[in-house]
Parts: sequence; structure tokens; C-alpha cells
Amino acid sequence: MAPIRVRAVGLSKTFRGPDGGPVPVLDGVDAEVGAGEFVAVAGPSGCGKSTLLNLLGLLEPPDRGEVWLGDVCVSQLSRRAQCPVRGRSIGYVFQSFLLISSLTALDNVLLAARYVGRARSEALPAARALMERLGVAHRAGHYPSQLSGGEQQRVAYCRAVLNAPALVLADEPTGNLDEGHAAVILSELRGLCRDRGASVILVTHRADAAALADRTLSLRAGRLEPRGGGTT
Amino acid sequence: MVGVLRRLLPRNYLFTILGIAVGVAGLVALGAMAERITRFIDGGDRFVLGQISVAGEGMGMGTGFTAGGLLRADRIEQIAHVPGVAAVQAQVMLPLNPTTSQFLTLTQELILGIDPAAPAPNRQLRELPVKRGRFLRTGDRGVVVVGSDFAATRKLAVGQRLELGSGRTFEVVGVLDKTLTAPDRFAIVPLEDARDLWLRRDPLLVQVFAGGSGAMSRRDLNTGAAVSWADGVDPDDLARRIQKSVSGVNVTIPGELSRVLRQSTAFFSALLFGIGVLGLVIGGASLSNTVTAAVFERIRDFGIKRALGATDLQLLREILTEALAVSVSGGAIGVVLALAIGFIVDARVLSDGQQLFLFSPRLLLFALVFSAILGGLAATYATLRIVRLSPAEAIRRGA
Repeated sequence: MAPIRVRAVGLSKTFRGPDGGPVPVLDGVDAEVGAGEFVAVAGPSGCGKSTLLNLLGLLEPPDRGEVWLGDVCVSQLSRRAQCPVRGRSIGYVFQSFLLISSLTALDNVLLAARYVGRARSEALPAARALMERLGVAHRAGHYPSQLSGGEQQRVAYCRAVLNAPALVLADEPTGNLDEGHAAVILSELRGLCRDRGASVILVTHRADAAALADRTLSLRAGRLEPRGGGTT
Repeated sequence: MVGVLRRLLPRNYLFTILGIAVGVAGLVALGAMAERITRFIDGGDRFVLGQISVAGEGMGMGTGFTAGGLLRADRIEQIAHVPGVAAVQAQVMLPLNPTTSQFLTLTQELILGIDPAAPAPNRQLRELPVKRGRFLRTGDRGVVVVGSDFAATRKLAVGQRLELGSGRTFEVVGVLDKTLTAPDRFAIVPLEDARDLWLRRDPLLVQVFAGGSGAMSRRDLNTGAAVSWADGVDPDDLARRIQKSVSGVNVTIPGELSRVLRQSTAFFSALLFGIGVLGLVIGGASLSNTVTAAVFERIRDFGIKRALGATDLQLLREILTEALAVSVSGGAIGVVLALAIGFIVDARVLSDGQQLFLFSPRLLLFALVFSAILGGLAATYATLRIVRLSPAEAIRRGA
């Protein structure tokens, strides 16, 4: 997948609270992530970091605003047209791994290929190579419940990058991992930008993780404040 | 088969399948009971519609399908000459157990004496199905062919001897296959043997014969006759014609008897309908609820799949395939479960000459098709609800 620029224009999202009243989470967020750029998003809990990632990844629609991938306003596409964008152009790594418990590790990885029309036989060598590189190939036939947290996150990472997406969204991917496993995942994400030109947006609380990013965006009360404190 | 199911079904569908199996087992078991009652009612109906039953005037034995006094041989001759009559078979029908408590039951066991040389009169039951041994032959004496329930309750086999009252024993030469209606409780003997049994039982008849009045012979000892009609003849019209042209006989009109039978079994028909509706509601609700719940339980998985690019159609196809596999597997296990319950219960009650369940092929096929259709509909409903959610919302709800 060719490197691609990501833009958020005036993104707003309001949820409904337990009492039915509105709970504004994002309020007119504008942001841009260049092709091959590694950007961290930081901010206090509940400030809307995950919601921003969900909107950028087309996991839910914004109330207002637009998401652009390259020259295409993907947030305006029909539900059906958004599916291949999600499948081919965007990879997700979640804090809670989100593996499907009834599938083996290998089948979880291959799931990414299924919905973009890649034949299993075609995707299998790439899936095995990725799992080998991440050190989970020997767990290919195991179910998620039989894997450690670190192994599950590495399997989830393999699934996220199997289709070589131009944009990788990682929501606290190291939140449930020890230092060693966290380092592996962060290094992989860094490598995606460096070696493949993918754009990576990382939501994190960890200062060491944010320090790996090209720059850090700070989210406060539903608004993004560029801090420009990243390292290269 | 197991491999295909493993590929189609996620691991955690075991309890869903078992849930569906229990619902379908209930549906099939209730349906099998309804089928059994239907067959019993229809069997009796077919039997009475297949022949015209004639008895002599008066009260007589009042057993089986005839209700009247002695039907003398000359009357049988006259009946045979009524235009439209194809065949007449003299019969002696006696209750096996002449106590009044047995007399009035629907499951009364009967001794039926017939002349095997005479053509079978019942147009609906040309030949009684023999399961083991043979049927009666011309010239037989001292032998008996028994119905399936009659044999089962006494554990009778071909070659054994059977006492049919008054110390008279008969050799069992045949056991009939199950008809699920009256003949299952018959002991069928040659006509002359039945006349002997009757004479031994009825002191009045013995006195009449001992008196040597000469007015009656053994040929007159008939409780009734079964009359068959020629092709194209209306049986009800013929019955009325016999009543009109032969004096001293009671003729049952098949159509009227069928109506009376239907009226007397109206309660069972209503019960049957109720059982069927109950089975459909319980089985259907259980199945659709289980499938819907199973789909909703996996809402997080569907959210993940949509995040990976699955379209609504891909999800629907995937869920439908799973739902059909789950429903049909559950349905098949339910059918096997119901069959097992039915066979165990029937084996227990068969010693009393009863059969509670009838698992007809149409019922089993219906259960499987019903499971598949309802499972598919329930899964479609659940999927349409799920695909309306955004992937993030589906993941949140399933967390």
C-alpha cells in the first residue's frame, strides 16, 4: 500500500450519557498525519483519544467533520464503500487485543485477509512469516485463551499489518504488556513507518512510547493541542 | 461430517446446539404423540369407510363394528344378492374379556372369526400385514393370527399356544404388523373356531342348540357380516338399499359411522391441534431465542470483523451459514433425543399394549426443515440488528 496522508477536519462526536443527556467527547478536532509519520496522541483518561482513533479508523461515524485518506474523504463514503477502506488501508491494534476466541492464532491473523478478498493460500505465507518474526509462530494453532497477554498482542499486531495498510491505529497497545513485550510492539510500529512508509497513530499514556513518535498531539477536553515535542 | 461442522461452527456453539436440541426434541416428541393419535383416529375412520357392517336385528353382542343380534345365514345370502354388493364375509366378533369394564373401552381386545376362503371385504384394508408367520388359510382349524399389540402384551411368538377362553387353546401361526388401529388388538381365528368359542361362552345359545329346534344351524351363528361393494357404487346408498331390501338386519352406513366416529373423537382432534400448536410455539421459541442469543453473544466478534473490512453481506452470509449449521445440528440431535425418549417410553408402555409416539418421516423432516428455517430467520433478524451498529459500538456492547 502506497504511503498516504491522513487528515481530520473539524471532527466532533457526542455520546449519550446514562441519563440520556449529551456527553461531548470531541469538539472540532483538526489534525494531519503525514505519510510515513509516527504520531503519538496523549491526554488524560476520558479526553477522547480512543474516540478520535475510532473516527479516524472509520469504526464509528463523526457527528460533524471529515476524515481524509489521501485525496478521498472516506468519512463521507457509504457504509459499504467504507468496508474495503477499513480492510485494505487501515490496521488496528487495540489495548485489549480483540482476538476472536473461537479462532486459533493463525486464523485470527488470516481473518484480515478474508474480508479483502485475499485467498487464504495466498495470505498464509505472509501470515506465517509475520508470526515467525514476532515470535508467535509456535503458537499458531493455539486459541487466544491459551496465549499470554504479550503473545495475544503480537498476534493482534500481525493481524493489523497483514494487508500492509497505509495507516495503523494503535490504541494503548502496550497498556496490558510488560516492558519487554511493550518494547517489541513499539519497535515494530516504529519500523512500519521507517521501513514501509506507513502512517502510525499511537494513543498512549507511556512517556517512553510517546518519545518514540515523530511528534505528540495532546488532547484536552475534546480539542487537540499540537505540542510539537516529539523526537525523530 | 465432523470436519465440516468443525469448520463451520465456532468452538463455543456447543451449548447453543444443545439448547436447540432440547427445543426440537420437545417439538418432535409432542409431534410424535400427535401423529400417534392422528393415525389411530384416521385408521379407525379408514376401516369403517372401507366396508359396510351388517348385524342381525336386536341387541346381540354389541361388540366391535357391529351392533345387533344374530345375523342368520339366509340374511347373508340375501345381502349377497343386493345389486352393487361385491362380497359378503360372515363374521363372529367376540370380546376376549367379556367383563363390562373391558366392554366399553376403546382398546378392547377382540376375537374375530372369519372365513379365509371368502374375499376380504374391506376396501381400505385388503390384506392385513403379516409381520411374522402367515395369515389364516382355507381349512385351518385351531390356529390364530394375532395383532401386534395383542402379541406384544403376551410376548407371543409364532408356534406358541394361546388360550382364548373356555380352556380352548390355539396355535399362533402369524403375528400382524402394526396398523396403529383396531386390528392391533385382534386375535383372528377361523370362523368355525369362533363359533365354537361363542357356543362355549353363551349358555343361552347352548340351550337353543341342545333343544334341537331345528330353526337354527351353526351357519346362523354370526355376529355380523362385512360387505364390500362393486366399483363405482356409492357405499352409503348401498347400505341404505340393503337396509330396505333385507328384513331383520341392522346396517351401519359408512359415511354416518365415520361422522359419528369423528364427532366422538373431536376432543382428541382438538387436543391434537393443541399439542401441535404447543410443540411449535415451545420448540420454535426455544430455537429462535437460542439462535438469536447466540448471535448477540458474539456481537463483539462481529464488530471486530467489521473493523477488518467485513461487509454487511459477508457478515450475513457467515452468520447464516453458522446459524444453519447450528440449527440443523441441533435439530438432528433433537430428533435423535426425541427418538431415544420415544423408544424408551414406548418400550415401557408396550407391555400394556400401548404406543405413545409415532415418529413418521414427515414429522422428522418437518423438524429439520423447521429448525433450519427458524434458525435462519432468527439469525437474519439478529444480524440485521447488529449491522446497524458501528464496529466500535458493536465492540463496546460485546465487551
